[in-house]
Amino acid sequence: MKFTSYSAEDIPRRKFLELSLKGGIGLVAAPSLLRGLLAGQPAARPELAFEDLNKVIRHALSQGGEFGEVYVEHRISRSILLEEGKFKSAVFGISQGAGVRVISGDKTGYAYTDEITQEKLIRAAEVASFVARGTKSIKPVDVKEEKRPSYITVKVPLQTVADEKRLEIMKRAHDAALAYDARIKMASIDYYDEVRSRIIANSEGLYLSDELPLLFFIVQTLGVGNSTSHMGRERLSRHSGIEMFDELKPEDAARTCARESIVMLEAKDAPAGKMDVVMQNGWGGVLVHEAVGHPLEADNIARETGVFVGKLGKKVANEKFTMVDDGTLPCFRGTTDYDDEGTQMKRNVLIQDGVLVKFMTDILSAKQIKMERTGNGRRESFRNIPIVRMTNTFIDRGKDKPDEILALTKSGIYVQSLSGGSVNPTDGVFNFTCREAYLIEDGKKTTPVKGATLIGNCLDVIQGIDAVGDDLDFGPGICGKGQAAEVAAGQPTVRIRGINVGGSRAR
Amino acid sequence: MDYKTVAEELVKKCLKKGADAAEVYIENGRNLSIDVRKGEVETVEEAASYGAGLRVFIKGKMAFASSNDLGERALDDALGRAIEFAKITTADPNNVLPDDKGLTEIAGLFDPQIGKIPMERKIELAKKIEQLAMKDPRITKSDGARYGEAEGEVVIANSNGLAKIFRSSACSLGVSVVAEKGDQKSSGGEFCGARSFSDLKPAEVVAAKAARDAYEMLDPKPLKTQKAPVIFHADVGYALLGGILGAVNGERVLQGASFLGNRMGQKIGSELVTLIDDGTPEKGVASEPFDGEGVPTQKKIIIDKGVLKGFMYNTIIAKRAGVQSTGNAVRGGFTSLPGIGPHQFYLAAGQAKLEDIIKATKVGLLVKEVTGYGINPVNGNFSGGASGFWIEDGKIVFPVKGLTIAGTADEMLNGIEMAGDDLDLSRRMATPTFRIRLLQIGGE
Repeated sequence: MKFTSYSAEDIPRRKFLELSLKGGIGLVAAPSLLRGLLAGQPAARPELAFEDLNKVIRHALSQGGEFGEVYVEHRISRSILLEEGKFKSAVFGISQGAGVRVISGDKTGYAYTDEITQEKLIRAAEVASFVARGTKSIKPVDVKEEKRPSYITVKVPLQTVADEKRLEIMKRAHDAALAYDARIKMASIDYYDEVRSRIIANSEGLYLSDELPLLFFIVQTLGVGNSTSHMGRERLSRHSGIEMFDELKPEDAARTCARESIVMLEAKDAPAGKMDVVMQNGWGGVLVHEAVGHPLEADNIARETGVFVGKLGKKVANEKFTMVDDGTLPCFRGTTDYDDEGTQMKRNVLIQDGVLVKFMTDILSAKQIKMERTGNGRRESFRNIPIVRMTNTFIDRGKDKPDEILALTKSGIYVQSLSGGSVNPTDGVFNFTCREAYLIEDGKKTTPVKGATLIGNCLDVIQGIDAVGDDLDFGPGICGKGQAAEVAAGQPTVRIRGINVGGSRAR
Repeated sequence: MDYKTVAEELVKKCLKKGADAAEVYIENGRNLSIDVRKGEVETVEEAASYGAGLRVFIKGKMAFASSNDLGERALDDALGRAIEFAKITTADPNNVLPDDKGLTEIAGLFDPQIGKIPMERKIELAKKIEQLAMKDPRITKSDGARYGEAEGEVVIANSNGLAKIFRSSACSLGVSVVAEKGDQKSSGGEFCGARSFSDLKPAEVVAAKAARDAYEMLDPKPLKTQKAPVIFHADVGYALLGGILGAVNGERVLQGASFLGNRMGQKIGSELVTLIDDGTPEKGVASEPFDGEGVPTQKKIIIDKGVLKGFMYNTIIAKRAGVQSTGNAVRGGFTSLPGIGPHQFYLAAGQAKLEDIIKATKVGLLVKEVTGYGINPVNGNFSGGASGFWIEDGKIVFPVKGLTIAGTADEMLNGIEMAGDDLDLSRRMATPTFRIRLLQIGGE
């Protein structure tokens, strides 16, 4: 078989996989299993694929253990970079593989293979079963296909989009950024899309398969002033077809980014020390993602190391503070139909009116702390074990008016956007870096200030949030916890009393 | 499987299918990680994997495709994708591949023994380090111990006739614990890495440091916002390096996105600032005989006694700048194009003992933990979170937490007035302990 020409349409994966079967090294898998990857395209005899999976799961639990799982993944990705006026590179990725997991008590065994063959899966099952040797075994339930609701809609599938369309979107952003102001000396446009297909099968009889498209569009612009420079950034992302750009215009993202680059050229030194901070709605929610979200992940609760251990049912925050993790928000970056362990996505209220009501769990930690499975077991790829991760995490909308929150704050810092940050989940100390921030003087946003760090303790901050606006909004991001995960973070405009601001001058 | 032959054949195939120039990068490896907590195995992960990245050039246009299926069909597919993708990129005369057939000879990068040591012994080692770290009564919880290992092979072949292969191994050992007192919790962790199992630091040393980092920080006191000398402990000196690394990236320099871009040959730091990137030390954790596109690695002085001496380049960016590649092409694996990055990037050691630096400090902050992004490579501004110890009259008086420190790269590099002898080259990014004359500290 020769590939002489390539249309914009990807080779359908069925064909791709069948082709793979004919040649190559060792790809002699049961085709039925591979066909299972073709979400929405029923295999001729699905029961064969199921039987293959049953065999692997039985093998995984042959030494003992109470939970066995097979995760199969196929991913096609495209990444294009437009920078300094040139399409510098185009990167295409094809990745596939499968992982087998065994849970026995608190122990987890995991092994993966790049080759999706019955032989390799059985070998992975053997390796994964190591941790369960000599323990009591269960009889796995044969897998049965399950249909679930989807929170992701696609109008124009990414597989059908011609590359010219991608380039055009990028060029629109690039040109809009440079046209914004003569001081914008460079624009960098990063386009990424992928289609990830998953099969999840486990010893509880679960069988699920789906296909998740993802778009990630990053604009960066360099503003150069007389005495300083600033790199601005704006990101768009959804689980969606290319129609995302009809709603979220690349030009708008570029102008937002360019505006930040220019405004920050006038930034003065920020003051240092404790002050009140008003955070604008949107991606600023990453502050609670880090400061509160990570400590609410049940793995550190099960280990009894986290700052919220023993606090379930207790008042931990100001009564205006309600925090939610919701993996069902339509097409959001943190949304999937079910997590990478097959648990249904849902809206999980974690802190309700200041009271801690729920931790986020995966299968293992849910068992360990005897709580429900919340749909937060996620993994970067088949090469990773699922761990507790957030999805779309936000401070729920309140009743305060954003302009009043600002007007009633005599002095402090107004944070328009944050870069990102991190937290130590044990002591709850977190930090963030401001991208764009201003002084608040007499209830007004005044001089822009240089990228200061905000630092504080998670419990102090959620006690100190004393105003919550009605303007909930979100932003997309990447969360790192040993593995990368796509997430969204959100919040309405909020005021936090007494955060330590890492400015470079005394007040 | 002979991946070198696979790579060379694939390069030929790329040319046959229409590429003017091509490069094939294959990675093949095995890894193992063992997590232990409370004396029991928590997780065992093991896998072998591989993949290939194909870079093609057609009339100066560059594209790339990767696949972790090395079957002929899958590779043909990837190749077709790359060739097709090369139609959409912009032609650039700088898009070239290296032709240097040399290798830097480095001993001790591969230890064939690692894979032969039985799993049980590795589990025992992880259990032992956890037990040792829990020995101190102030340590109340374990956050787990981890042993990890990897061995692998990298093959690069390109249409300039370059064909190189290099095998390496690595292992690591670490532990993380929590000290509690009343409502207070304080965590401490430490790890070490080496090319050989036998070169790992003694478990006792690593465990003791993890425990000390946790309990030492109990009972912190508040500190007033002020300007004071700041000592960066060797554990956190890397916080200074990240931003400099970004600023000496040759591509950022060409883009005007580096605060060091027009400072070449100028004095940018004190006499004590000598910054080195070295890909060549024997047994080095960041050593390799050639970089991510096959250029021999070297030892390069970036800043010499405060004077900026060099930027880092890969082949394409070097051609654009009109210089030679410095062997700093790095890849994030077989799925990505070579970017620019360091090997072992470190600030040269000074002569002072840590105790003497503390003794010589009338009042000041000894920083043991820094959070945040470090120095901004575009404009040199710095702001970070910090915790550590407050020093008065040359003595540590109490721990401090939740502080901020801020300044500019200029203030920091020029302000370095003492440097310690405690450089630990088992880390990829390393500095000795150093003291900066004055920085803004944010507190109460």
